[in-house]
This record gives sequence, C-alpha cells and structure tokens, in this order.
Amino acid sequence: MGCCYSFFCNDDGSSQNGEPNERTHLLVNTETNNINIQGNNSDDYLNQDVNAAPKKTDEQSALSRILQETATNVIDVAALDAHNLQQHEYLDRVKMYNMRIQQVLAANRQPYKVKTLLLQDVSSADKILAAEPISAEDYHFVTSMVSKASLAITEIKVEHKEDLVVPFRIP
Amino acid sequence: MEKPLERVMEEILNTTDVFGCVFADHQGLCLGVKGRASTESAGVIGAIAEEASKLEPNSRPPVIVLESENKMCIIQRNGTITGAIYKLI
Repeated sequence: MGCCYSFFCNDDGSSQNGEPNERTHLLVNTETNNINIQGNNSDDYLNQDVNAAPKKTDEQSALSRILQETATNVIDVAALDAHNLQQHEYLDRVKMYNMRIQQVLAANRQPYKVKTLLLQDVSSADKILAAEPISAEDYHFVTSMVSKASLAITEIKVEHKEDLVVPFRIP
Repeated sequence: MEKPLERVMEEILNTTDVFGCVFADHQGLCLGVKGRASTESAGVIGAIAEEASKLEPNSRPPVIVLESENKMCIIQRNGTITGAIYKLI
C-alpha cells in the first residue's frame, strides 16, 4: 500500500529522477514505461500523463533557465580570493600604470613631476614612525618636573636688601 | 629668590641618565639652565613648544621628544614656562 501511495504522489518525479521502483521495467525506456504503467491504473492518470509529458520538459527547461540565470548572477567570492597578485604582476602593473599616466599627461601637455616628499631624506620612515613613543616613566617625570619648575618660577620674587630709593645729598 | 627653581633643577639632574635641563618663559627668555644645556637654546625650545601646541589647540600642551641616536630632548610647556630635559637613551 505504501508503495502505491508513493507512486501516485510522485507520478512525475519517479520517472524523472530515474529512481527504479517496483514498477520500473528493466528493458523498457522510461517514457513508455511511465505511460504503460499509468494506463493500467486509471483514465485520469493517463490524461494527466499526456499533459505531463510536455509539462515535464517545460519544467526542465525552466529549471535549467533558473540555473543559468543563477550561475550568471552569482559572484564566486572564493574563486576571487584565490587569485593573489604575484610580485612580478605588481611590478608589471606599476610599469603599465606609469606608462598610462605619462600618456595621459603628455596628451594634456602637463609635465609629470613627483612632489618633494616630506621624509625624503629618511631611509626607513615606516620604522621610525612606528617606533615606540616616549615611555610612560619619562612622560610622568617630565610632566611632574616641569609643573614643579613652573610652580617654583611663580615664587620668584625680588628680595631687596638695600633701599631701592637712595636719597642723594642735595644741599 | 630663585632657590626653588634651583632645587627643582638639581632634582632633575640627579635623575639617572639626565644630563641637562633648561627653562624658558613665554617669550623664550632663559629662566634657568643646569648641566650640559645652553642658555641660547631657550628661545628655540620655547618656539618649538609654541608651534607644537598649535597642532591641537584645544588639548593639553604636548610633550615633544627630539631624538638622536643616543640622546633625547624632551620638551613640555606648562602655563607660560617651557621646560626641556636632556637625557641619554
């Protein structure tokens, strides 16, 4: 009973998927096999199958169309990542881009010159710029000492030991 | 008179690796110098602190470090005075 049930439910699917079941003939092709089997069952199924044959091809073409559309719309990120630029490719591109820039500038009649760089005389600017800044100890030392000195300087006063105004002997 | 400042400069020089210090007022006038530092550098130090503080006017005055291979000069402004401490690395 279970077998009949599954067959009726999957009247298209069973032959489409090519899965053999208890009704599959070993030596007959699937199309005729399907019609013969269903003809034995009832007229309804026969009529359904006549309509089902073109419908099936429609579904298949629709399916393949969907697959094609999906394939064209899909961006394969994994495949993109796999393509790493090699060193010589970088160099080639640098050359190519420089050449293009020269061409464009020549067309515009503008002289191509590199601006003077700020850190031109520093050989490895990245190392110097990435170096550790002042240590916390030094920072606190300097801050405290300068504030102490600032305080000390505010205390500077003129201490007069003699009279600033000296009376002259005016006769 | 300037005894408190002298004492502070003594304290600075007694710190390990420190070999000089100089203090300048807001106009670059030298207020005090001790150790291997020159009074003539006071004006330059004041100007450096002045210019550096213009980078971030709303922040606290920055600590500026000038570094050579084996020495460093740390400059900071506090109020109207600027201090510079010379130190071995």
